Amino acid sequence: MATTSISKAEQSYIQTALLSDPPLRTDGRSLHDFRSVALETGIAPLANGSARISIGQDPHDGSGGTEVLAAAKVEVESVEEGGVDAGRVVCTVSCSPAAYPQLATAALEDLQYDMTTIVHQTLSHPSLHPKNLRILPGKKSWLLNLDLIVLADSGNIYDALFMAARAALWDTKIPRTRAVEYKARKGVPGSAGLSAAVGKVGGSGDMDIDEEAPSGFDTRQIQHATDFELPDYWDEGEVLDGRDIWPVCITLNLVPPVHFLDAILREEAAAPLKILLIYSFPPSEKPRVQGMRMLGPGELTLEQIKDLVNRGEHYARDVFTALHTKLKDEDVRRNQKAREKFERR
Amino acid sequence: MQSGFDRRRINGPEESNPPIFEDEETPTWNVGMPRRNRASVDIRPIFLQPGLINQATGSAYIETQNTKIACAVFGPRQAKNVAFNEKGRLNVDVKFAPFSCDRRRAPMRDAEDRSIAMAIHQAISSSVRLDVLPKSVIDIFITIVESDGIEGCVAAGVIVASTALTDAGIEIFGLVASCSAAAVGEDIWLDPSLRESQESRGTLVLSCMPALSTVSSIWQTGNMNTGDVLACMDACNSRCTDIHSVIAQVLLDSI
Repeated sequence: MATTSISKAEQSYIQTALLSDPPLRTDGRSLHDFRSVALETGIAPLANGSARISIGQDPHDGSGGTEVLAAAKVEVESVEEGGVDAGRVVCTVSCSPAAYPQLATAALEDLQYDMTTIVHQTLSHPSLHPKNLRILPGKKSWLLNLDLIVLADSGNIYDALFMAARAALWDTKIPRTRAVEYKARKGVPGSAGLSAAVGKVGGSGDMDIDEEAPSGFDTRQIQHATDFELPDYWDEGEVLDGRDIWPVCITLNLVPPVHFLDAILREEAAAPLKILLIYSFPPSEKPRVQGMRMLGPGELTLEQIKDLVNRGEHYARDVFTALHTKLKDEDVRRNQKAREKFERR
Repeated sequence: MQSGFDRRRINGPEESNPPIFEDEETPTWNVGMPRRNRASVDIRPIFLQPGLINQATGSAYIETQNTKIACAVFGPRQAKNVAFNEKGRLNVDVKFAPFSCDRRRAPMRDAEDRSIAMAIHQAISSSVRLDVLPKSVIDIFITIVESDGIEGCVAAGVIVASTALTDAGIEIFGLVASCSAAAVGEDIWLDPSLRESQESRGTLVLSCMPALSTVSSIWQTGNMNTGDVLACMDACNSRCTDIHSVIAQVLLDSI
């Protein structure tokens, strides 16, 4: 999916440089170096979680670089109207026409569709599904919309998309809800009043209230719960379940026998074959491959692919660790430091 | 929803649900139990027939139990209104028949699936000698008559497209065979059906040219560890050799 076209001479120049010893890249990086990555979470105040990422932005004037915005927004969906009992995750990628000025509208739509497919198929897979998207069992659930906007593309867009998605989902907070039911008030026939608030829904993960209900609530009443309320409107809610396991993507660009990471646009055009490897590193578990795609013309042997899968795991772990550290930092910056600053005023 | 409404067709109701029959409830299966109906490395039997559609340059039809796909190849023809391209272009169009899935796929609205088309395109494009067809276009139309799992559709689609391309007499480097696998519990099941892939942790589709021993596409989703992925690729790769001989035999018989 080369979005830029370059001449044959330039293509061969870039390929020869990559294959020479030592390998040379136009910006002086080594084959497995990344450009600098900048990340900020919480950039969209109206979303439930958001992040902005840029790869390879010029540190002095802030120009260039691949830039992606991601925002997660939850909405209530009732199961009768097409919702799913355990909630849904829907991912959409849209590309700004400014990011791809050379593409016609139809081609841009196809590109968006392809990106959406890969992101959605990976992140909405049942094996990654967060457990706290259920509001009222069998009645209402959260629909989590993850929207990604590509503001600028200067290469390596898939890695940027998945990093942005992971950061936004890490940042996502699901509002706390409490189930309510309506009961006719005793003695006053015909009048219905809001009476009982039954249990805290969403807090106990997968709703196993039957077994662990600490109080003397009659659990059968939960079936009668017809609606829910937000106990605290100003509370942002609890973090999305399983935020440690959202995957990262690593794109291996191939000029057999070498492969390189974080290609810029011209390198992508010169080396059209690439493999996307999407890894997740759950704590205290083996690394998980959450997705794999070969993109672009060309073939590989099975041995080459096996080698790439193993190497990709190391690269992905590096990206994952760095991103994890940064996300923790962002949490500290936005919660602890912001509070301290507020107190000092 | 009314905007993409086609008045010339008999439109079904907007909302519909598939009926549930009483005797449809199959015995429950739990992780760890052996596979039903076949061994874990078995694939469903393949019925493949080239040359089904007369007016197409080449065509083929494939049936692997509940997956039924027809494919027609048109071209190579001259590309009009397009800038000069020294390599030929391969267009892949995948359409679902409205009755192909559990839920009705309304015509126009959700009958086309670009993601499957792209997966098939990725798998077969490197096998076609597009460099000998400058300025031309090859159209591949794939109709899914009945679907039993996306993975099965992609794998069968690749096989049928490669057969139809050969039937059309278009120069190719080698036949492309494709096989899907699912990681279920600790096992690896080849060629999973829809139900089986829903029970699985993750699935993988591998397309390769056994004659050249190269892999042209990998398509994996879901949760697998590295060992699973490598084992799936090996299992699919060896099964593709068998599929290759099926395609070759069918093509020989059709001459």
